[in-house]
Amino acid sequence: MDLDLQKQIIDSTQSVFDTMLMLPMTTGTALSEKVYNFKDSISGMLGFAGDIQGMLTIHCPQEVAFAITGALLGMEVDEVDEDVKDTIGEMANMVLGGIKEGFLEHGIQINLAVPTILAGRSYRVSGMDDATWTTVPFHLDEGQFLVELKLKDRKNR
Amino acid sequence: MGKRVLVVDDSSTMRKIVSRALRQAGLDFDEILEAGDGQEALNLLEGENVDLILSDINMPNMDGIEFLRQKKDIDGIKNIPVIMITTEGGADIIGEAKSLGAAGNIKKPFTPDKIREVIGSVL
Repeated sequence: MDLDLQKQIIDSTQSVFDTMLMLPMTTGTALSEKVYNFKDSISGMLGFAGDIQGMLTIHCPQEVAFAITGALLGMEVDEVDEDVKDTIGEMANMVLGGIKEGFLEHGIQINLAVPTILAGRSYRVSGMDDATWTTVPFHLDEGQFLVELKLKDRKNR
Repeated sequence: MGKRVLVVDDSSTMRKIVSRALRQAGLDFDEILEAGDGQEALNLLEGENVDLILSDINMPNMDGIEFLRQKKDIDGIKNIPVIMITTEGGADIIGEAKSLGAAGNIKKPFTPDKIREVIGSVL
């Protein structure tokens, strides 16, 4: 198996933004350090299992989450409500759906769970420290958000 | 009486996005009904007539595949066309949906143009 995980994340995230959000976005370089701590943020997490097991997470500062939700639903958003939480979960779902297609092209089958959302003034996300982490930052006018893909138990192919 | 569509998705946001895309696509539905999973959709269809169902696949309680499996055996609703709207792009699951009677498939993310194209081919 020879997957460019950074490219998978970038291509899928860009596709979601180009197709459904129409927000100008730029892509950064994959982070070399793991990020555990978040402030005034929302994280949408989606696990998967199959030939490989892992987790995709989107970490958004509130202002970024408001911009994404507003663009998707066509309305002004200025508080962390169920729409905002659900939107970030659905973003994780769509980004992982695109990555799943990339995996399938390499003969790797995965099954997606349903999203889980974390939101708060200050929180820490840990777990799967033994996994391979790939975290890519993306930039909107409202700030930076992270798309993080953790993979473990890779099947030899 | 105008046409009615039922949108089935566990994400309330996605139901709103689909409803918005239907309007942006200029599709002339008089009413958009919503259900949060397959079981809720079957319950709703006991008392409501709709012309089209747009359904997610990956949902808790009853997923879109089981919804198709049960719907095809229920007189009165078995002939209502169902279009799957899903992140599940795998040929196997799309093929299974088709074998259970799905009339089309729209992959998330989608545009209003894509919605119009697929629905136009079904209705």
